[in-house]
Amino acid sequence: MSNNNKKWFSLNLGKKEHVSSSSCSCGKTSGGCGGTSKAHDMTDDEFAEAAIKASIGEERTKDGFEQVFDVKMDRRTAFKKLTASLLIGAGAVSTSCNVISGDESKEKAQIDWEEQFKGNYKLMTDEERQATVDRLVRSYQLRTGKTINMSSKNAEEDVLFGYAFNISKCQGYMDCVNACVEENNQDRNSEMQYIRIHEMKDGKGFNFNEADDNYYHEVPAEGHFYMGTQCFHCDNPPCVEVCPVQATWREDDGLVVVDYDWCVGCRYCMAACPYDGRRFNWSKPEVPEEAINKNQHYLGNRMRKKGVMEKCTFCVQRSRAGKNPACVEACPTGARIFGNLLDPNSTIRWVLENKKVFRLKEDLGTEPKFWYFMD
Amino acid sequence: MKNNINMMNKIVCFSFFLLIFFSCKHHENEYHSITDKIEAESKNYQGTSISSEAHIGDLKTIEITEGEHTFLIPERKSQIKSYACTECHTKPLAQMQSKDFKKAHWDIKLDHANENTMNCVTCHNPDNMDHLKSLTGNTIDFNHSYNLCNQCHTKQFEDWKGGAHGKRIGGWAPPRASMTCVNCHNPHKPHFESRWPARFNTQKVKERE
Ligand code: SF4
Repeated sequence: MSNNNKKWFSLNLGKKEHVSSSSCSCGKTSGGCGGTSKAHDMTDDEFAEAAIKASIGEERTKDGFEQVFDVKMDRRTAFKKLTASLLIGAGAVSTSCNVISGDESKEKAQIDWEEQFKGNYKLMTDEERQATVDRLVRSYQLRTGKTINMSSKNAEEDVLFGYAFNISKCQGYMDCVNACVEENNQDRNSEMQYIRIHEMKDGKGFNFNEADDNYYHEVPAEGHFYMGTQCFHCDNPPCVEVCPVQATWREDDGLVVVDYDWCVGCRYCMAACPYDGRRFNWSKPEVPEEAINKNQHYLGNRMRKKGVMEKCTFCVQRSRAGKNPACVEACPTGARIFGNLLDPNSTIRWVLENKKVFRLKEDLGTEPKFWYFMD
Repeated sequence: MKNNINMMNKIVCFSFFLLIFFSCKHHENEYHSITDKIEAESKNYQGTSISSEAHIGDLKTIEITEGEHTFLIPERKSQIKSYACTECHTKPLAQMQSKDFKKAHWDIKLDHANENTMNCVTCHNPDNMDHLKSLTGNTIDFNHSYNLCNQCHTKQFEDWKGGAHGKRIGGWAPPRASMTCVNCHNPHKPHFESRWPARFNTQKVKERE
């Protein structure tokens, strides 16, 4: 990856191609600059000076307001640079170029730095996607000593994912919910769950107001039926439309995904979703280390942080590998059917063409790719 | 004057034509509905590189073709612990049902339809224990036991062949492997038991208090 086509600002600590005089230019990605490099003779003040110069250059002579608004650049770059200059003072650089701190903490700082200023996943090239995934894997390794497996697999050509739910078959066991929580590393503290199973009274139709999605008694209960809701991966998703920073979008295989690192947590999308498909992390998500699913995807079940939106991704880490989502696999009744809508021989297509299917709030024009049917 | 009206007519016609032309013009990849889109985009479907094969794993399967559907189902005979039946059933059933013999299959209680409709020999052949038999007495292999079920459960059979009933094995991608009837339903007691849900969300209770 060459420097000039990067979509974000980076400091390139210790990388050779970084020519602008200042910070450690010994050429090591991690570790202190060995030998008699000039940089080491600097005092801390000098170093900070140099680092700031390297990052914001000639804008230095202007005051903060001018730096942001006088310079010809878009707002994002402006904020990035402003934040960058603040951060430099705060210490990311001092850690990574400090001779006293160890190799690992320097590498950590370097990774944090690059992760902090990486771009929107949607706009990244494949190499950039791979790079951020590699960084996240390495970062996890440095922090916990454990290795995870993270994919950045893109949508496959000629695939459009669709889902069908058989209302007559669902018994309300909620095995799908459990499987989903475990597969997708959902917060155990707030007991987040993407899937809701609604217990509805026979003869009342789909009355969500009177339905119970947190029953606990022997199921199926007399005089009730069960149906599940989750993200429907609309083909015309209103949540995507409202996101002010384009942190959520529709992939080519129809999955509506979130870049957790780009989301600013405004929750517009949550309000825009007519199906209550989105979940917000009000607190830091906690998953016990031994329960973490280490088979992850950048757009799927990788670890989230506080203040970001998440939701069902049809288990992108599984579905793009050819597996069924965890809920489909866990369901003992076969009420859940998943597949490729573009494959005329797929079972999902057979269901759509031969059963009487319908979707929720069809008149909204959201075109959910989640159909309900009965035997 | 006449010429003028003619001209007007022409203009009106032309603009009307233009209107029609533009109002129905769609951008590429834009469809009226998802079903239109699916239909249009799957016309030249060539298959994908994604396969379920690895996810099916070591499971022993057999390929079946029923109507226009061809798919894999788990092989059954090797999964039945006491198969082949004739290893015990060496004599005709009538002779084995005496007091001198130890009772076998004591744990099987038929809970399927009612006594008028079904008993052991509706499906099992007392003269040929290693095979099942159809209502008309034809032999049915244990591996193809779905042919026994579909004598009554015709609707379920149709749905199963298409993929609306039953459960996939492996993944969504081809080759398709599906569970067969007896993988989910105990043939002697085919209904699903009621039980407690796998989960109760205590946080939701708190939130909604
Ligand atoms: S919460 Fe995140 S994904 Fe949703 S609209 Fe706001 S920034 Fe976009």
